[in-house]
Amino acid sequence: MKDKKFLIVDILYILGIILPLALAVTLKVLFTPASEGVAIHGAIIFFTIPMPIQDLPITESQVNSWCVLVLIAFLCLFLVHGVKEKCGTKRQLVAEWIVEKVDGLVKDNMGEFFMEFSPFICAILALSAFSSLMTLVGLYPPTSDINVVAGWAILVFFLITHYKLKGGVKHYLKGFTEPIVAFTPINIISEVATPLAMSFRHYGNVLSGTVISALVATALQGLSGLVLGWIPVIGDIPFLQIGIPAVLSVYFDIFSGCLQAFIFAMLTMLYVSGGFPADLYQERMKKKEAKKKK
Amino acid sequence: MPTLDVISVNIWQIIISLCNLALLYVILRKFLYRPVKKMMTERQKKIDRQYADAEQAQEAANADKRKWEEKLSSADAEKKVILDNAILRAEQVGDGIVSEAERKADMIVEQAKREAEAEKAKAQDEVKTKIVELSSILSEKMLQREINADDHRALIDEFIEEVDEDADGD
Repeated sequence: MKDKKFLIVDILYILGIILPLALAVTLKVLFTPASEGVAIHGAIIFFTIPMPIQDLPITESQVNSWCVLVLIAFLCLFLVHGVKEKCGTKRQLVAEWIVEKVDGLVKDNMGEFFMEFSPFICAILALSAFSSLMTLVGLYPPTSDINVVAGWAILVFFLITHYKLKGGVKHYLKGFTEPIVAFTPINIISEVATPLAMSFRHYGNVLSGTVISALVATALQGLSGLVLGWIPVIGDIPFLQIGIPAVLSVYFDIFSGCLQAFIFAMLTMLYVSGGFPADLYQERMKKKEAKKKK
Repeated sequence: MPTLDVISVNIWQIIISLCNLALLYVILRKFLYRPVKKMMTERQKKIDRQYADAEQAQEAANADKRKWEEKLSSADAEKKVILDNAILRAEQVGDGIVSEAERKADMIVEQAKREAEAEKAKAQDEVKTKIVELSSILSEKMLQREINADDHRALIDEFIEEVDEDADGD
């Protein structure tokens, strides 16, 4: 009875993992226009919601991000389903492995104080990697939309500023005038450049992968037509497109996607822990406690 | 189907994406980290408890071992005492038996001597009587004459005493 219940819940979770992907693929198939040759463009707009300042177009990248969110949520539920003290299942091993690895990463790069960051780093890694890996099932990767990555980078920027402000507003503002007052504009630019650089790096890498893959595929098609075009029937099949794009896909879709996720997470950890003035923060805490006692 | 440009910045999309990441943080925290961490702390507790139990058991076993070793060594000492006592007693008993036997042997030898002497005296008496008879018969035959019995008797006694004196003198 218990096993049956367990199995049913398991199946529900697996459905929760598969269904978002299936939905995204269906939408893609339904809304992709007939081939117009090689065209590099942004995400497909499903519909537009009028909003103040700027209309909000609901695009493929939005829908795909939500699909990834649901997928990861169900994946987590599936992994920790039936978790026990005595490790009995492979999925529990995977869940423990993920948590331990990310914990270790955060501990190494940020220190004990930032252990609360572990789920956040895990979220960045998972969202970025899964978004980039969506190309594997032929979907539009949300990470090749600047808006998506910019959102993450701005959240990270808020976090960096928040932890910098823990040393006191005075100290934060004073940081801009160092080493001399004349450097202030440059310092402000470099502060703003952090999220910009992070978002452009990630978005550019994923998008360039798509662009290069498309270019190479087109070039191979042309080459194929040039070499084999004189044979009747067979000449129409682009034989040279077999093989080489797959190698590129392994690099751009799998390797680059995971690498960019890792880089984004690493930069987040380094910027947040690097901007945090630990000594000043402790001094302030001591002062606050002293005040409380008074 | 309209599409976005390759680079098109939209403030609302950025905010949605920001919220997505924040939401995923909450999801991971709640669905992945909380159960796994909870299980890990419980496991740690269990392991600690088992270690403590094992240590306790080890200590108890050590105490038992010490106790038994003490008992064993005391048993050894006891055994030695008992053995010594037994040997001592056996020696005493043996000595008693030997002295008793010696005493008995002496007694037997004494008795035998006494009996031999009595035999000897008896034999002497017998010889004396025989000699008297023999000599009376002999003298009667030799002399062939009648003699007063009393004189006769006195003569023989005299003779025997002479013989005795001769025997004693030898």
